Amino acid sequence: MALWLKRSYLALVYAFFYLPLFVVFVYSFNSNKYTTNWAEFSLKWYQSLLSNSALLDAALNSLLVAVCAASLATFLGTISALAFKRYRFFGRKALYIAIFMLTVSPDIVMGISLLIMFIALKIELGFFTILVAHTTLCAPFVAVTVLARLAAFDEQLIEAARDLGASEPEAFRHVLLPLTAPAIAAGWLLSFTLSMDDVLISTFTTGPSFEVLPVKIYSMVKLGVKPDVNALCAVMFVLTLVLVLLAQTISQSRRNQ
Amino acid sequence: MKKTLCLRAAFVSAVFAALVLFLPQGPAHAADKGQVVVYNWSEYIPQSVLDDFTRETGIKVVYSTFESNEAMYAKVKLLRGKSYDVVVPSGYFVDLLRRDNLLRELDHGRLSNLGNLDPKMLDQEYDPGNKYSIPYMWGALGFAYNSKFVPDGSLTRWDQMLDPRFKGKIILTDDLRDAFGLALRSLGHSVNSKAPEEIKAAFEFLVKLKPSVRVFDVTAIKQALISEEVWMGPIWNGDYLVALEENDRLRFVFPEEGAVLWADSFVIPIGAENVDNAYIFIDYMLRPEVAVRCIEEYKYSSPNLKAVALLPDELKNNSILVPGDKELKNAEFTTGLGETLGEYEKYWEQLKATQ
Amino acid sequence: MRPPVAGKGGSLFRGTSIGTTWFWLGAFALLPGLALLLVSVLDKGEIDFFIPVLTLRNYEELLGPVFLTVLWDSVRLAALSTLVCLLLGYPFAYRVARARPKWRPWLLLLVIIPFWTNSLIRTYALILIIGAQGMVNKVLLGLGIIHEPLAMMYTDFAVFVGLTYTLLPFMVLPLYASIEKLDPTLGDAAKDLGAGSLRTFWHITLPLTLPGIVAGSMLVFLPSLGMFYVPEILGGAKNLLLGTFIKNQFLQANNWPLGAAASTVLTILLVLMAGLYRFVSLRVSGRERKGLLPGALGDPDVMNGKKRRARDGETAGAKNAGGA
Repeated sequence: MALWLKRSYLALVYAFFYLPLFVVFVYSFNSNKYTTNWAEFSLKWYQSLLSNSALLDAALNSLLVAVCAASLATFLGTISALAFKRYRFFGRKALYIAIFMLTVSPDIVMGISLLIMFIALKIELGFFTILVAHTTLCAPFVAVTVLARLAAFDEQLIEAARDLGASEPEAFRHVLLPLTAPAIAAGWLLSFTLSMDDVLISTFTTGPSFEVLPVKIYSMVKLGVKPDVNALCAVMFVLTLVLVLLAQTISQSRRNQ
Repeated sequence: MKKTLCLRAAFVSAVFAALVLFLPQGPAHAADKGQVVVYNWSEYIPQSVLDDFTRETGIKVVYSTFESNEAMYAKVKLLRGKSYDVVVPSGYFVDLLRRDNLLRELDHGRLSNLGNLDPKMLDQEYDPGNKYSIPYMWGALGFAYNSKFVPDGSLTRWDQMLDPRFKGKIILTDDLRDAFGLALRSLGHSVNSKAPEEIKAAFEFLVKLKPSVRVFDVTAIKQALISEEVWMGPIWNGDYLVALEENDRLRFVFPEEGAVLWADSFVIPIGAENVDNAYIFIDYMLRPEVAVRCIEEYKYSSPNLKAVALLPDELKNNSILVPGDKELKNAEFTTGLGETLGEYEKYWEQLKATQ
Repeated sequence: MRPPVAGKGGSLFRGTSIGTTWFWLGAFALLPGLALLLVSVLDKGEIDFFIPVLTLRNYEELLGPVFLTVLWDSVRLAALSTLVCLLLGYPFAYRVARARPKWRPWLLLLVIIPFWTNSLIRTYALILIIGAQGMVNKVLLGLGIIHEPLAMMYTDFAVFVGLTYTLLPFMVLPLYASIEKLDPTLGDAAKDLGAGSLRTFWHITLPLTLPGIVAGSMLVFLPSLGMFYVPEILGGAKNLLLGTFIKNQFLQANNWPLGAAASTVLTILLVLMAGLYRFVSLRVSGRERKGLLPGALGDPDVMNGKKRRARDGETAGAKNAGGA
């Protein structure tokens, strides 16, 4: 296969990934409300977004949940991955299978079963419940990602560290953690993405005092997505891009020092 | 590279956390009169109306939305009527909620603007005497067609949807009661029929219709009609008026056999924590100058006679927005079905499962 | 001087990490799962969502023609989307895994970034692309290739596009992981021995990346069974699919026990696939022991490798203490 053919295949798939985003971006400047027809360039949806405090609040709530849930899930997922890797304990295999199943279990089943539990325990639905639910949704993904990384890792390394007098936590901190850092980071990113995008679990586990963006958008879908949502997505997308580039530049310059 | 990925993640999370912590959480309010938690359809009360309400009364509005009556019903039931202060269910769901003991009986004396409402829209079968609900908006399910594909004025009846030339050209509502309602009406039965043979006949009507159905709408019915993805389909009068703004070839029909009517009403759930604020909110929404803003924004029909009187002439005289007796001949409200709903649901699933 | 402290810290760490894992999975996965299973054998109440009467009626109801059609339609659609994702994703993941190491994280990041935008909005955006007045039709009409807009929306094609778009990264990421681990010299060796590209791929690359293929397929297949909004928005909800069926039982029909039973059936499907996955991993790990593959994702024991010196950290700790 010629190199250009391989490269253009890559480019084609990326185009497939990015075309819809591009469309969202472009149509956020379209003055028409429902139609797919281009009317004229307009910033009115950005204006209407600024005055739509309910939508902005929901977006902020989503960010808050996503950051907290991703961090908690990363912590939990990493801890359990390490436990699976290092120790033999009661129910290890069963728990391992449970984690694996959770990664593929349909959202609706998870949402419903958590809801049944929250209701039975009389826990008020709101920030706490949605945080717990999203953490449960994300942590298995982190665990699986970290485990996959650990699989390639030589057990003898940690034992060498122990032989040299490192305590168990020290061995974890100085040997295992640096080695698994990329997987942990990837797990965090994946969790953040899952949490920001989850409709079903959020629908079931959040209360009226805590609206999140995906649920809000889902309820707007029924009556037609207004382009101020397009505007919001465009803003969020550009923001993420800028942040990623900024972080990359910072780490790059730090490395060059 | 491995390290930078981690650093990057840490950095991104830090910035997001900072954003979340430092951005102001919603508008600040001078006078704290507590809040009112409203659970409503999305896109149903203009944000500016909510802002003005807060400005005037000092009561913060916590606005939560749903996308279907069924979802709303499940949620209110789950929370046992707690958490929300004002909910806006459609007609027969008032009946369901009341049956489940989830609604608070209303004190009409606390609603000074109740007199603005059209008596014809009050005292419906789903809530005799309006003991539990106060109508907010109402509408009629008729159908719209695109005059580019169908000659102007040639369609007047529901059963014309069965015409073979519409094969694959129809968008059908994905709402069970609306779909069965139009089928029942077209066969001359009540939209609230509990007779098994009538329900079966309606099911058979829909089975015959299915080859014509290109799409069951769950998202915006407007979109498929506007973008000329389909030729015709049942649509609420309000949605049609909004769609018309973006495609002027669309026409609306109140079918001769009768439209299917619905009304959305304010109710106060049994476990509401801010009952006083709920009354203040509902009464505010009943003010003519407030209601008229909602009508102009969403183009749904209003039971508020004083608000309708305030509409500009071209809207006031629009027989689609303000239908008269002629348009509403044979039209009927959907009401609660009780146990019979299960029958409908079984047929509905069967309809979806047939090819 | 240090060993006693180290031993103590070790067991504390051990206890904490195992305890946390147990608590988390027990409280938020096992308990809710059991609650769901319980509800699936209860009866539906007139006012309450379920009443404490044991019955198998819900499962009997699932044996009826409606649910079987739903199940068949869903499995067929999910299997086809999985296949499409695999065919599209494999060469893509392969190219990414064989890119210069410097570029790989960037290429992967580029796969993830679009998914930071709401998926409902992205699904909506697809309408703007494949709709009657969408970009594709506009371009084709403009070029004079077609004279009537193509009806792509509300067809199975649209559902495939939507599912592929939403789930492709879940196929790409595990594929990438298993392809990246593959030693490129293996392929060279095969070629040196006279095997053609196709034969090398068939006999070396494909079998060794099988865990990635199965993992990716599972991550696409199962969610696409439960995903309801893509078929609803793009496919026109003409056929009832499993995800919609379950959602309807909870949010529309208020028949929680039936929905719980259907969820249980979905979970059983999941278990079957997990079994298949384990089977494949074990087979590949057999090759691993012959030194062909550095490690396989799957069973924890397979992942840890059977050739570990010590059985676990505790024995290692004891040995360590003894050594000191």
